[in-house]
Amino acid sequence: MPLFEARNIQKRFGARVVLENVSLSVEQGAVHGIMGPNGAGKTTCFNVLTGHYAPDGGTIRFAGRDIAGMKPHRIARLGVSRSFQIMNLFDDTVVIENVMLALPEFRAMTFSPSRNVFIDRALTDAALEILAQVDLAEKAWDKAASLSYGQRRALEIAVALAARPKIVFLDEPTSGLGAEATRALAQLVRRLRESYTIVMIEHDMRFLFELADRISVIHWGQVIAEDTPAELMANKWVARSALGELA
Amino acid sequence: MISLSDIPARGGSPFTPPMIVFLLALATAPFWLEAVGLYSYLGIEITIWILYAMGFNLLFGYAGLHSFGHGAYLGVGAYAFGLFQHHVGVSLWGGLLAAVLAATIAGAAVALFVAHRRGIYFALLTIAFGQVFWFCAIKLRWLTGGEDGLLGIPRPDLVVGPLRVSLQENTSLHWFSAAILGLAMLGLWRLVNAPFGRVLQAIRQNEMRARFAGYDVWRIKWLVFTLSASVAGLAGGLFAMAQESAYPDVMSLHQSGLIVMMILVGGGLVSFWGPVLGVLVYFIARDIIGGITETWLLWFGLMFVVMVMVRPEGAAGLAHVVRARFARAPVKTPVSAPAERSA
Amino acid sequence: MYSLIPHIVNGLTLGLLFALIALGFTLIVGVMEVINLAHGAFFALGAYFALATIGGSWFAGTEFGVWWSSLSPGARYASGLIFGPLCAAGAGMILELCLRPTYGKAPLYGLLLTFGAALVIEELIRLVWGTGEQSLSVPQAINGAFLMGGLIFSKYKFYAAAFSILAIFLVWLFLEKTPYGAIIKAGSHDSEMVRALGFDLGKLRLAVFAFGAALAGLAGVIMAPIWGLRPHIGIDVVIPAFLIIVVGGVGSFWGAVAAAMLVGLAVGITGAYAAAWSMLSMYILLILVVGFRARGLFGRKSALEN
Repeated sequence: MPLFEARNIQKRFGARVVLENVSLSVEQGAVHGIMGPNGAGKTTCFNVLTGHYAPDGGTIRFAGRDIAGMKPHRIARLGVSRSFQIMNLFDDTVVIENVMLALPEFRAMTFSPSRNVFIDRALTDAALEILAQVDLAEKAWDKAASLSYGQRRALEIAVALAARPKIVFLDEPTSGLGAEATRALAQLVRRLRESYTIVMIEHDMRFLFELADRISVIHWGQVIAEDTPAELMANKWVARSALGELA
Repeated sequence: MISLSDIPARGGSPFTPPMIVFLLALATAPFWLEAVGLYSYLGIEITIWILYAMGFNLLFGYAGLHSFGHGAYLGVGAYAFGLFQHHVGVSLWGGLLAAVLAATIAGAAVALFVAHRRGIYFALLTIAFGQVFWFCAIKLRWLTGGEDGLLGIPRPDLVVGPLRVSLQENTSLHWFSAAILGLAMLGLWRLVNAPFGRVLQAIRQNEMRARFAGYDVWRIKWLVFTLSASVAGLAGGLFAMAQESAYPDVMSLHQSGLIVMMILVGGGLVSFWGPVLGVLVYFIARDIIGGITETWLLWFGLMFVVMVMVRPEGAAGLAHVVRARFARAPVKTPVSAPAERSA
Repeated sequence: MYSLIPHIVNGLTLGLLFALIALGFTLIVGVMEVINLAHGAFFALGAYFALATIGGSWFAGTEFGVWWSSLSPGARYASGLIFGPLCAAGAGMILELCLRPTYGKAPLYGLLLTFGAALVIEELIRLVWGTGEQSLSVPQAINGAFLMGGLIFSKYKFYAAAFSILAIFLVWLFLEKTPYGAIIKAGSHDSEMVRALGFDLGKLRLAVFAFGAALAGLAGVIMAPIWGLRPHIGIDVVIPAFLIIVVGGVGSFWGAVAAAMLVGLAVGITGAYAAAWSMLSMYILLILVVGFRARGLFGRKSALEN
């Protein structure tokens, strides 16, 4: 049984149909890519899968549970985590707190009226460990706003990982990154796939084809192809939608 | 620029030196207020408004939910206290409990409508609700006395076991209010340094991210709104005692706006002490400038406008900058890793 | 049912005046992305400056003052109708200048600033004109009542309605048919683009603020005989303005007008049943609408949605 499965997803905004009959299936431990031209509905698809919007039709199952229409925070607690293309960090505070806030152990303490979290060794160690996964441990006590763009991208992912998810949705993680940072990110994803199931939207074709086990191609709100990278390169629809150009 | 999120240097301590200094000054106020040419009732007023402002800042500064209609809950508390004394019985704790309960219920009800929102919609909804409460206070003469207010509210004696203390004297009421403020301050300090306080700030900084990290943001917003309404209600009960009456005007947009201005001017957006400074500045404007000219509110308003333009971090932010300039060392932000102190 | 007619007429008149207020408000929101909590203050300023102009208090005791009071009430009223909004426009431009340091920062600061400005303006009004009720004298021709179909109608309210219709039409003409109007409309939709096209954004903002404030001021002059003239009349203006653009949609001309008529009718009809509570209906409407439907009937997503 796939870890995450969406079937016949439909999403309308007013009269506009943005997603039409989108289906997706992700096996545990896989890296699944989503690609398509701008405006194809990729981000809306992400938003629907992670609970930001409720689908107008179709089913979404995670680990056997029906999650369609569930509130985002409840889906998140089940083990679905996401990062954002336009970075969504807690900019007033330090790097380590960004991660700490997402830790389930921290979240469980929300309503406790007295604990000093920054002396709590267990919490800071857990947060540092997540930061180490993305190579940001030395920056733990710097202000999040003071990091470089590439570092903020890494932090963006770290916050998603801190929730100890079973599946991570990455929304255009290479967005704005240069060649070297992209390479570093690819290495990160290769490390991460050993512990997490990953679903990625990407524009960077090479990045995606290198890392993904399967890729869904979305165009005009529909999945026009879903296959392994190798097979996709041979697919005529993919070629025709001008996505097939790889350096 | 510093922000509320800067980790406090001694994050763990239940109280800080400024707190001790402040509470001492407050406790001794009846002795030195008259010496500087002021009057003891002022001490009560300032105490009550600081209580109100600190509870409000939990919502405004920490959670970043900008309510412009908070006077409603102060008013509800005041009326509830008065009505309790008139219709149920003359009792201090009963009255205060009624005040807190009524304000909590009012706040909780309004929060149901506003917790979904933030930003401009939130602000305007709170204005609308504030006006509704104000309107009702004026029109429901049979309940509230209308524009004439609810008069003749007694100051019940403080009864603790065998001890009976009269609060008729301004001095005694001042000490009682100061004690309440002291406890509230300790409680709030604890709260904002606990995970709850950090979560509030997370919601202020990025509500969407907090939601996707698993926080039930709606419920937390509802809770903080209700909590700050409760504190306002407590302040309202004390206010009814101080004035020995309750009027609709605290619920007006004008007055609800005043507390917002106090918060900003004092630096509530960047410091726990912001509300305290803001209230002090307001009362200085009212009583000292007010002694010179009738248009003191105009000057306070102008000062507020200028501060928004030039230094929205308020007095607390200014103090931080000044302190940094006088310290020869580079600007020391309070952020530091606890590993450098003993765990 | 028949007796409801005067109230419906009242409501429609109110709606037309609300439309004037809301149009200015929505232009400012559109181009500035600022909710102008001082809009009510412009409304009040328009009325008070008109009062001063009509009464000639600026120059009482001078030769000019003597000549002024010899003019017909009609002429003086007409000047009031012009100078009131003009002065409000001036205040609007000053506010825009004060808002400049807050651009680019969180919307809170703009909101706080306009709120503070509203307070300051109200205090200034108190300082200059006192806290008591004033009355704006209107020419006899449009004052008084008349009978129609067995019901009593107020002449002034018909005049107010007719004038508002004319004003709304002129605003529409300006926005749709003149090049300046086109720039303002464009700026209202996308101020960045307008700047990219080479227009001076600073001047545009000043112009929009002036225009919006003038509309509010004009509404103030016309409303004063209906609502009374006290320093705090502005407070009850911002909420309906906001409600109207939420219901009608930010940036939509006819949406604002339609929504304004609805809100005016609601207030007018409530006035038939519970006169003292009619103003409250606006606030309750806002709570219901914003509680359930944020984007309105005609509108697009805007900076309001945080």
